[in-house]
Amino acid sequence: MGKVIVVTSGKGGVGKTTSTANLGTALALLGKTVVVVDADVGLRNLDIVMGLESRIVYTSMDVIEKQCELSKALVRDRRVDGLMLLAASQKNNKDDIQPEQMKAICDKLRTTHDFVLVDSPAGIERGFSNASAGADEAIVVTTPDVSAIRDADRIIGLLQNARIEPINLVLNRFSPQLVGNGSMMDQADVLDILNIDLIGVVPEDSGVITSTNRGIPLVYEDASPGAQAYMRIARRLTGQRIPIPDFEQSGLFSNILKWFKKKK
Amino acid sequence: MSISIKQLFGRKPKSSSIAKQRLKLVITQDRLDVDDRVMTRLHHELAEVLAKYFEFSANSVKMNLKQEGNSYILVADFPYTKFHDLNVRR
Ligand SMILES: Nc1ncnc2c1ncn2[C@@H]1O[C@H](COP(=O)(O)OP(=O)(O)OP(=O)(O)O)[C@@H](O)[C@H]1O
Ligand SMILES: [Mg+2]
Repeated sequence: MGKVIVVTSGKGGVGKTTSTANLGTALALLGKTVVVVDADVGLRNLDIVMGLESRIVYTSMDVIEKQCELSKALVRDRRVDGLMLLAASQKNNKDDIQPEQMKAICDKLRTTHDFVLVDSPAGIERGFSNASAGADEAIVVTTPDVSAIRDADRIIGLLQNARIEPINLVLNRFSPQLVGNGSMMDQADVLDILNIDLIGVVPEDSGVITSTNRGIPLVYEDASPGAQAYMRIARRLTGQRIPIPDFEQSGLFSNILKWFKKKK
Repeated sequence: MSISIKQLFGRKPKSSSIAKQRLKLVITQDRLDVDDRVMTRLHHELAEVLAKYFEFSANSVKMNLKQEGNSYILVADFPYTKFHDLNVRR
């Protein structure tokens, strides 16, 4: 029986879709069977981020309306074994789907796949309730800025009320340089505020933008720091214990450097 | 509010520390706002204790969190009508 994990955030634009696409692909590269589900009805993007937009025929709405079988609505990603996408309807809106209907879809998918990753829309309304309805676990994505963290805290409260556990944090668009000169909170600061488990830190990486342009998830580019971060998170999701590297420069020299920077 | 040595010597605090401090405050407030049950329970428990000493009407009670500088202050108004004679109590 597979796990259903909702990828959510509260605030928009912090990297939910990017994380879902890359973690889904990364898990498949590790040999797992995966379905990524777009729950952003009316504003679907997971298909284009993954480069599968030209192959969508059916959506979760068609499955709910019994226009087609669930298995027929899944689009197979041909680049890697075991990865499927279930697209969201673009012509409907979030209120056209009930949480129980999403839950039924997730419950069915988990019988045939190791992981079901649900890409949640931003916000705390219906779209979020639909996306989280069938979830056992959650990944909360945030960037290290005040509004994203505040909204993440709100979402964490809602997830806890819904008894979704564990809730793991992905800290995205992290910049060691900005942390080094004191203009960005580091992972310890963020964890101190949010008080949940960190499953990974993804650095700011221009590769995210170029890979999205091409529709090829970043994790295929082995050398990129963002890809490596997502691969590590995927391994942790499979239960491997992999330490989170310290992105800050360390060593005596850089510490002296830091000390001088602080004095500025 | 405390003034750190850094501030005394005219050095600006790091903006990341300011962000963290502001977030901690606002999130405390958010959590209490959302979780009305906590405030309601506190309200009941405070009223229980105060009722031993004062007489007041339950619906005149007001409780609020107020931000002042770096911390929150719990402001509770329990307008009382009568002070119980404590010598009567065992
Ligand atoms: N680590 C990163 N480095 C650089 N750019 C990033 C990173 N993560 C995300 N982005 C960029 O941020 C933008 C928003 O990302 P994404 O669409 O994944 O966010 P989202 O949370 O799904 O947004 P929405 O709330 O609208 O669904 C995209 O342009 C993406 O390329
Ligand atoms: Mg998205």
